[in-house]
Amino acid sequence: MKTPIADLLNPERRSFLKTAAAGAALAGGGLLELEDARAHAYAPYLTDNQLTAVVTSCDHNCGSRHMLVAHKKGDVIVRLSTDDGRYQAGGAYGKDTPGEPQLRACLRGRSYRTRIYSPERLLAPMLRVGERGEGKFKRVSWDEALDHIAHKMVWLKRKYGPTAILDQAYAGASFGVLHKSDQIEGLLARFLGMFGCRTSSWSVPSYQGTTFSSRITFGTITDGNEDDAFAHSKLIVMWGWNPAYTFHGGNTCYYMRLAKQRGCTFVVVDPQYTDSAAAYDAWWIPIRPNTDAAMLAGMAHHIFANHLQDQPFIDRFVQGMDAGTMPGWATGQESFKDYILGMSDRTPKTPEWAERICGVAAADIRKLADLYARTKPAALKASWAPGRAAHGEQYSRMAAALQAMTGNIGVLGGCAEGVGKGWHPVSVAHPHDENANLWWASIKSDRWAHCVLNYPDVKREEIGCWPRNDALDGQIPNIRAIFWHGSDWFNQLTNINKGIEAIKKLELVVCSDSTITPSALWADVLLPAATHFERHDVGLPWYKGHYYIHRPKVIAPLGEAKTDFQIYTELAYRLEALDPGLKDFGKRYNPRAGRDYFQSPDAVDEAYLAAWWKKVQDQQGVKMSWEEFKRRGVYKFIFDQPLVAFRAQIEKGEKFETPSGKIEIFSTTLARVADWTRTQYGAPIPAIPKWIEPFEWIGHGKAGKYPFHLVTPHPRWRTHSMFHNLPWLRETYQQEVTINAADARRLKIETGDIVEVWNGRGRIVVPAYVTERCMPGVAVVHEGAWMDLDKRGTDRAGNPDFLTKDEPSPAGAFAYNTVLVNLKKTALEHHPGWDVRATSRSIIFRRDA
Amino acid sequence: MAQKLDMRRVKTALRRKMAQTAEPAKPAMQLGFVHHNVDCIGCRACEIACKDKNGLPPGPRLRRVMAVEGGTYPDVFAYKVNLSCNHCADPACLPTCPTGAIWKRENDGIVDIDSTLCIGCRRCEAACPYGAPQWNAKEGIVQKCNLCVDEIDAGRKPYCVMACMMRVLDIGPIDKILAGKHPTTAIGPHDKPVRQVKNMADPDLTRPSIAFVPHRKGKVE
Repeated sequence: MKTPIADLLNPERRSFLKTAAAGAALAGGGLLELEDARAHAYAPYLTDNQLTAVVTSCDHNCGSRHMLVAHKKGDVIVRLSTDDGRYQAGGAYGKDTPGEPQLRACLRGRSYRTRIYSPERLLAPMLRVGERGEGKFKRVSWDEALDHIAHKMVWLKRKYGPTAILDQAYAGASFGVLHKSDQIEGLLARFLGMFGCRTSSWSVPSYQGTTFSSRITFGTITDGNEDDAFAHSKLIVMWGWNPAYTFHGGNTCYYMRLAKQRGCTFVVVDPQYTDSAAAYDAWWIPIRPNTDAAMLAGMAHHIFANHLQDQPFIDRFVQGMDAGTMPGWATGQESFKDYILGMSDRTPKTPEWAERICGVAAADIRKLADLYARTKPAALKASWAPGRAAHGEQYSRMAAALQAMTGNIGVLGGCAEGVGKGWHPVSVAHPHDENANLWWASIKSDRWAHCVLNYPDVKREEIGCWPRNDALDGQIPNIRAIFWHGSDWFNQLTNINKGIEAIKKLELVVCSDSTITPSALWADVLLPAATHFERHDVGLPWYKGHYYIHRPKVIAPLGEAKTDFQIYTELAYRLEALDPGLKDFGKRYNPRAGRDYFQSPDAVDEAYLAAWWKKVQDQQGVKMSWEEFKRRGVYKFIFDQPLVAFRAQIEKGEKFETPSGKIEIFSTTLARVADWTRTQYGAPIPAIPKWIEPFEWIGHGKAGKYPFHLVTPHPRWRTHSMFHNLPWLRETYQQEVTINAADARRLKIETGDIVEVWNGRGRIVVPAYVTERCMPGVAVVHEGAWMDLDKRGTDRAGNPDFLTKDEPSPAGAFAYNTVLVNLKKTALEHHPGWDVRATSRSIIFRRDA
Repeated sequence: MAQKLDMRRVKTALRRKMAQTAEPAKPAMQLGFVHHNVDCIGCRACEIACKDKNGLPPGPRLRRVMAVEGGTYPDVFAYKVNLSCNHCADPACLPTCPTGAIWKRENDGIVDIDSTLCIGCRRCEAACPYGAPQWNAKEGIVQKCNLCVDEIDAGRKPYCVMACMMRVLDIGPIDKILAGKHPTTAIGPHDKPVRQVKNMADPDLTRPSIAFVPHRKGKVE
């Protein structure tokens, strides 16, 4: 059997051997004289040409989106490959240009086959039979599971009102156009909203501080260039940014390699000498966690003191950078320059001042400030991670101030990121209307446990109640149930021990997922969701990149799995039968479907997607037909120049989307707040960016008892908690605590020793990785390990969220990186969760040469 | 492990092995890998692509991205060395195989292994200075990279190369690669490929078909 898609797109299928790039002498076959030489190394074995190739994509909440090509036999996926240039219009095997690069999947995407077929796959509906969290379930029919939920939902709404159900959907199940598991406006949000009972979780764990900063400063989160723009920078400052782990943007690292080949200088400001620092041979500036805003302020001081700022740019485009750019109504209030020079607090934010806080030598702060101010164009890529901290938004805003004062906004090779969202796809094929995001209370996502445990003695500012224009404004939600949709939040939000206390008070916990996650073990009802290989959809770039990838139903859903859209549609029909107030709920929730959607969704899904493609054609000028798109599997946009955020504002004088129409370093919105308790922030946020001391850090009094600052970055081998269970990926790393070699010597810890890491909130047990690549006084544990508690509540797997605090910053930034801990060698048990001895684990070689 | 060896096939294979032990195959063009030790971000997409391609359980890793680090805080360095099988001109594994399961292809010099002949004695594993043969405890056999011969024969490149997000891993005629005469994205405009990097076995032993762009700390004088 030949590969149909390959034949279709490339009828002659020129071998790469015959193309100019390769020699002509590789021609295979024919020369092996022995008959048994035909036997393949790994029998029985099917070659790609004996399998059917189907283009699809990965689909998780990571930072990019890449092509996967499923090679299947019958209804089984035998292996996955990725984009090889053949599939796009005008494609050919091996085609890979900077204008139209291949969308090559990362290690996580490549491991998907083992995720679909993993032993942790949830294949049938389940009902809890033991205590909550005990992990004891019985298998039930879909009828029984859905009726149980429907009855309970109606009862909850009647008894506790419209805030009883907490929506904790997240993007773990789908980042497609049709089957969307989104925190704010996904399938679950619309379902619960139309049902009439929903408390929403508004702060986004990954980047709420940065989102706030981008909105306040630029009026939008679309402040990102496309990844190909990086190739044009002369200086890239990677601030807390490790794309070699996160793969932020489809081809970001590849384009930065092109920049490097063109002579770009790289700087990494990070407590760790990351693989990104190594790959770009960067100048590494180790910095104390959570002090980034102070160092940036020190840089700003050097730039102002030496008149290195781009004053014409400031005068024209910026509000509140200095006294001259303050709005008339705010005359006399503190401008950014006033703050930096210490006009009002008599503390000039000199590099020496910054050094005492951030631990970076004043000389280095000056050197970097000079380099950044004098190199044009220069990209200060202010990553999200340093913003996942107490007052994290101040760091993001301070970085935006630096970007603005050097005039690196709206120019190719510069950078205004922030959030960094670039090109905007047409992203919605599912029903999307006035019901998309209905809620009766909306709180900071990491305050749910606090709310449940203290209800009703909770103040609105403690949980960040989003204001409303009706009688419900400021009312504390009476949360009695949680729905998880593509979400492992119980394992992922801060201060898990508090979550464990709170979840015991709830009356219904529903988990819809394709995998039995650690959260699932705390649910009452488990609903098996189809993976994206088992339903029809289209994949979108997550962050950067400009393309669509078709995702056909590659295989039939495993076990009894149904798509989330099927599940909520069917639940809507069952609810309308129970509650007379919910007339036509099923039809209104899913207008193209009938009741038979639960059994046969294909025609309906096709109709939604075809209608979506029509929008793509109309809004984006795409000429390719839906049928051709489906046949090829991918559509790649080609731009005549890299997309750069705010180019129109800078080149054509269009207004920024802020109240003043300018880049607001002095924020109109924040300056006008009268009563902070009535805002979603709950606490004051200064109108200009400032360094504000976090509730704990190395410079804090608590550091005597807990001398290590713990950071919990995103790992490479998982997407948050997803893929944690896959042996292929487990072979490439170890869940461990990274510490500096000098610290380790003092504590007599060597690589591989089992260590306990603890503070007042919890205790975890992990092996140590001792390295010179980590700053002294800093400990690193990657987020997302699947919790595994012993009887005393110690986490043997090493999930750092037993140590984090559920105290978000005013703007809603999670304090994932604001953690003090202590650590020591221990006799406590570590559970890696899989058989380490059976495999040849990855090894880091220490070479002193 | 092969359940029941076909002795007729073993006999043929052993004849081939004897011939290739006496005089290794001398392909007109020897294929080999090239890898950029610095520009590699160490993501291991190549490793996972290889695991998937070859349907491997946990344990055997036919391709291995090794992380090398050194220096003293804050003056540190790190780079990656990415190895699978080097398809040596004088493969050390080949003569050790008691059933003749390993042979070298005459046309492109790929060193292949036939799992239906492997009895799991692990002698090749001990002989190889690069750790290429990998023990598969589940199957009771040794496996190693065969440069995706099926892909090569179909006119494509191996899975690891096509997986590389950074385009720093490639294949080609190894002589031309080392002479800088083979166009490849693995080697940048100012880079010079070498035969050996630090802590790697002397290439004169087996004459591996591998080229690296070394890190400044990984250079062999």
